[in-house]
Amino acid sequence: MNKKRKTAKSATSARKAKRPARGALSVATSARKSVKQRVAALVEAPLAVCENDENLQAVLNVLRNKNEPVEVRLAALQALQAASFSVVEFESCRGDYIATLRKVAEDPDPELRQRVLGLLAREKDGFAQKKLLEGLKNPEKALLPPEKALQLLSYDVHAEAYPVARAIVSKPPNAAAKREALRLLAADATAAPLFEKLLRDKDELREIRQISASALQSLKPEKLQAHAKELLLDTSEYDDIQATSLTALSQFGDDEAIGKDEALLKSVDRLSARASTKVKQSARRFLSKYGR
Amino acid sequence: MNVELQINNSVNPGARFVSWAPSPCRIRVTNPSGVTSPTVNVQITGTSVAGGGAVVFRGNTTGPFSDSLTVPVPITGTSVPFFVAGKFGRPSVNNGDVTIEARTGTTLVGSVEVMVRIRKNANTLTPGERDRFVSAFARLNNQGAGRFADFRNMHTFVSSPQAHGAPGFLPWHRAYLLDLERELQAVDPSVSLPYWRFDQPAPKLFALDFFGVSDAMGTVRFSATNPLQFWKTDGVQGINRRPLNNWNPATQPGPNIITEEKTLELGTQYPSFRARMEVNPHATAHTRWGGSISSIPTAAKDPLFFLLHCNVDRLWAKWQRKFGRFDPAQAASYDRNPPRPIGHNLPDTMWPWNGVTGSPRPPTAPGGAMAASPCVSAPGPQPRVQDCLDYQGSVNAVSHMGFDYDDVEFA
Repeated sequence: MNKKRKTAKSATSARKAKRPARGALSVATSARKSVKQRVAALVEAPLAVCENDENLQAVLNVLRNKNEPVEVRLAALQALQAASFSVVEFESCRGDYIATLRKVAEDPDPELRQRVLGLLAREKDGFAQKKLLEGLKNPEKALLPPEKALQLLSYDVHAEAYPVARAIVSKPPNAAAKREALRLLAADATAAPLFEKLLRDKDELREIRQISASALQSLKPEKLQAHAKELLLDTSEYDDIQATSLTALSQFGDDEAIGKDEALLKSVDRLSARASTKVKQSARRFLSKYGR
Repeated sequence: MNVELQINNSVNPGARFVSWAPSPCRIRVTNPSGVTSPTVNVQITGTSVAGGGAVVFRGNTTGPFSDSLTVPVPITGTSVPFFVAGKFGRPSVNNGDVTIEARTGTTLVGSVEVMVRIRKNANTLTPGERDRFVSAFARLNNQGAGRFADFRNMHTFVSSPQAHGAPGFLPWHRAYLLDLERELQAVDPSVSLPYWRFDQPAPKLFALDFFGVSDAMGTVRFSATNPLQFWKTDGVQGINRRPLNNWNPATQPGPNIITEEKTLELGTQYPSFRARMEVNPHATAHTRWGGSISSIPTAAKDPLFFLLHCNVDRLWAKWQRKFGRFDPAQAASYDRNPPRPIGHNLPDTMWPWNGVTGSPRPPTAPGGAMAASPCVSAPGPQPRVQDCLDYQGSVNAVSHMGFDYDDVEFA
């Protein structure tokens, strides 16, 4: 008897938790309320979203409706996202949710489009991947700028994205697109020579060289370790490239071999005397790791 | 005369870590030369380096702690038990920055260096603590080829029903964080998992030398000395994390994320507390961002995910302490009825540590058993839900999981 009473109390407690969310939902979906009120109510709404189909459809309608203020639609999207974290309850809502996201992916509002395509890309959604790739091949059809499309495609890299990324690296529409194309190519085993070339090119942007160092460490670690030593020995090299080299050696290098490499240790010693403060500190930590 | 001090009842130097919860210790005479009486009174104290941790002692499983303890120790070599704990508010900064000393009169007869290893607010770490943590994390990941890949693969769309949307949400993530923390400690034992207080600005966390600064596209940038510049998951380089709605996490608290105070008011019973806190602050903190952290299938690609969840766990710990909800046998400490999906009931073992695969569990179980600790035995290699409530061992000392938060006292 006592146990039954406790069980009932527990279930009631969970039901009570959803009461404020139900109230919030009616404010959130009411066109008579102000934008501010509706956005605030949508923060409270996720608990009620999957309680029944009526609630779900009400929030999805707000998200779909191009006549709704975009701030409210973005807040509806965040409410649905938050609800989706409660996966067991959200399971029955998922089909309609994904279908709605696909519809909104071509919405005129760029921020909404970007967020929705991001959500779909993280779900490895084939529809979104196809749209993103199409946009890269044919910019007139692009739903997002190329750098963003490349970033989203990197959630599930397919081989067919590599030729497009290579084309962007060789003829980039902007610096960010080149950067994101290189990040995507870091998963392509055949791209190691490209990264070696970029890493050693002092005329390249340092950010591109740092991305190349990281990519190379992953694709051909022995190559990066060899290049990193050479970059540290080069007194005309930039501080931050040397710092990246030092970090690569310190984190991923062969400690025994480095400890015996007198030329390298001398070079780091020189760096610890002449570089910027942060690089100096990094060089000193490196030296102390090898007993210097 | 010499004595041996065993911390966590172990001679293993790897066991010399304590938290706010009492650690069982032993002292015994190893060299009785110069002593004629059958027992000798030994005073045990802690000395700290400047800014370092501090410890307190007691002779029994209950009772007050004090800065020093005098115990009669037989010269036969028989061990005498005592307990040591970190002094609340005085966590260590470096490994071994506290020394437990044993003296007879003024003569030092034995000592061991220990660390009061505590989970701290990431925004308060010293540069040394920050650098050690970041370095250990980058090594554990080893560009996607290291042990971290298992942790990334534990938190995916397929596995999400094991860990979300039901009562096991909090215990599962507690075990998950602990497993990761123990692996980080295998790389560097001085490291503990810090937390991101998402209801406060965190300028030191969202900085180039720590968890990076997001550009307009959400690509996270790091300094050239930060090893996280080499972060790679699922074969892809870098971290995508874009604060939405013009939010700057370095200068502003997460928008619409309820405060710690409000979180602790979400209910006095676990079912209500868990159901509401899983949405806000938890899911709200995830979805204030664009990028991988904002979706369950990709959230664990971003190391910030673990600091976010560490704060979720800290909030649960605070709630547990506020309402006395550590005992699995107490109805209000968990959600018992109606029967929940497998993995969410108190006696259930949790995936993936139990190695069980196939419906209704996920098809694979990455990572194997829970990493062992040289300091404590809980929660065991295949933790059950009920093993993850009494994390300080305040109900049952053997349940102590070996971690504590800087602002949650021993219950």
